[in-house]
Amino acid sequence: MESIVVLKEVTKVIKGRTIIDNISFEVNKGEVFGFLGPNGAGKTTTIRMIVGLMDITSGDITIGGSSIKMKFEDAVGHVGAIVENPEMYKFLSGYQNLIHYARMVKGISKEKIDETVKLVGLSDRIHDKVKTYSLGMRQRLGLAQCLLHDPKVLILDEPTNGLDPAGIREIRDYIRRLARERNMAVIVSSHILSEMEMMCDRIGIIQNGRLIDVQMIQEFVHGTSASFEFEVIPSEKAITLLNTNFPKIPVTHSRNGITMELAKDEVPAMVKVFVEEDIQVFGIREVSKTLEDRFLEVTAEKGASDHD
Amino acid sequence: MINLIRNELMKIFRRPGTYVMIAILVVIVSVTGIFMKYNLVEEEPNVTEEWKPVLQQENEALKKQLESSPVKLEQDYYKKQIAINEYRIEHDIPFREKYNVWSFVKDSSELILLAGLFTIVVSAGIVASEFNWGTIKLLLIRPINRSKILLSKYLTVLLFALLMVGILFGFSALLGALLFGLPEQTLPYLNYFNGRVTEQHIVVYLINYYGLGSIEMIMLSTMAFMISSVFRNSSLAIGLSLFLMFTGGQFTALLSMKFDWAKYILFANTNLMQYIEGTPLLEGMTMTFSVIMLIIYFVIFQFLAFYVFKKRDVAA
Repeated sequence: MESIVVLKEVTKVIKGRTIIDNISFEVNKGEVFGFLGPNGAGKTTTIRMIVGLMDITSGDITIGGSSIKMKFEDAVGHVGAIVENPEMYKFLSGYQNLIHYARMVKGISKEKIDETVKLVGLSDRIHDKVKTYSLGMRQRLGLAQCLLHDPKVLILDEPTNGLDPAGIREIRDYIRRLARERNMAVIVSSHILSEMEMMCDRIGIIQNGRLIDVQMIQEFVHGTSASFEFEVIPSEKAITLLNTNFPKIPVTHSRNGITMELAKDEVPAMVKVFVEEDIQVFGIREVSKTLEDRFLEVTAEKGASDHD
Repeated sequence: MINLIRNELMKIFRRPGTYVMIAILVVIVSVTGIFMKYNLVEEEPNVTEEWKPVLQQENEALKKQLESSPVKLEQDYYKKQIAINEYRIEHDIPFREKYNVWSFVKDSSELILLAGLFTIVVSAGIVASEFNWGTIKLLLIRPINRSKILLSKYLTVLLFALLMVGILFGFSALLGALLFGLPEQTLPYLNYFNGRVTEQHIVVYLINYYGLGSIEMIMLSTMAFMISSVFRNSSLAIGLSLFLMFTGGQFTALLSMKFDWAKYILFANTNLMQYIEGTPLLEGMTMTFSVIMLIIYFVIFQFLAFYVFKKRDVAA
């Protein structure tokens, strides 16, 4: 795996407040990297620094080996991006918008523009004024705009914001295809977890300006230990028992009994403990965690450890 | 760079507002022309055959005034009038001629103010609009550094100014020729500089006249551009620049009656015509002084515009 975007100890301070605190990560060619975090966590700020819209207070970002600070033009030449909404010149047609951006990079032919328009499926409406476009069409024009110069890195900030389910699916498939077929590195940010799960290979979780974890999406969803729901009566007794005998196992009340985290091979032993203590066991079920649970878990964990 | 300027021009000329501005300019020139045509009819016979004795009389009167005048500024003015009158008598150049196309073009130069107004509107919007539209983000993530983008925008403003003044000049020449006709014999303009009188072709003179007349509008457009870039607010840029455009001159004139430092104010220096015809606002002001002051203001405006634009964190 070859990394193309490298963030090294990036910090951003605005008016004495640390917005981004010492973030480092790498994004490889051909992978979709998700940037996940609640609103205001610093996703957009980080993306703005990657594309050079914002200054970096300390640390550095390189794209394709060129520093965005020192060699802005080389670095940003590898990048196609939509930062927040794809804002276009509404009084121009879609095609004129593309011409506008094509003129700003050397060597983009008319054929290339037409090809890109076809690729994003805007051929019918490309000569209409952008103000007549729907949000989905603007989003596609935004994509066309960043694909014009065949970038090695695609950066999309909240790419599915405001799209309907069909549009979301389309963008998602599209992003995956670009990463696979063109070996592009794609960085997407979102606070919608289910979407990230379907789109990304790896995700970085950001909270309060800190990157608290970078994981493969599979690992992230399933984690190392699984959750099991035990249908037991009386559940109160079971919980006190667990708390006294196995204080390390996290256990909570759930709808049908109690839920705890433990490895699969520990389940029989646990059943035995319950039986010996005269607790009735009606059923055991593995609870697969959603990304959302994991996310809240991870952010809560790290948040708590920060305060220690 | 040419591509960048083409982009900027596209963004200006694909908006209907631009054509409204051009139309207003053309309409106002036309109205002025027609108005002049029908109000000047009575004055025409005034072009007398016997103008030489009149000038001679005038010169004698001027000479007396020159001797009695204690103020240097006034003396200079009389000297200049006398020199020009003598030159006319000597070279047989009548001092008054029929109102013709060139007179109209010269009168139309008053409307440079209007061309300036429109240029300020464009200049104030050219950076601020990108921020308002949110398009600045997509504009600045191209492999082109920010200074080049800003420079292309400024050059576009200059081109637009040139276009507006060009339209004003061209259209008033055309309309003037239609309404007032070409003069039978083109009289040169008499230029007085450093005690010498020289002849200048009237068209050359008018182009210079328009050029010098545009300095104020260029400076104010540059200021609007600076405000637009620094505050990202086109209303502020338009408001402040227009306010100064209409009041700056008067304020400066008022201040100059009382304070000597008024000569450092931008508006004391924008009118370079004061050194060529007429008299300087304050004693001790020269062409060189004004040109240097203008350059200083220009550099300050541009420095602020570029410095802030380059440093700015784009977060809108």
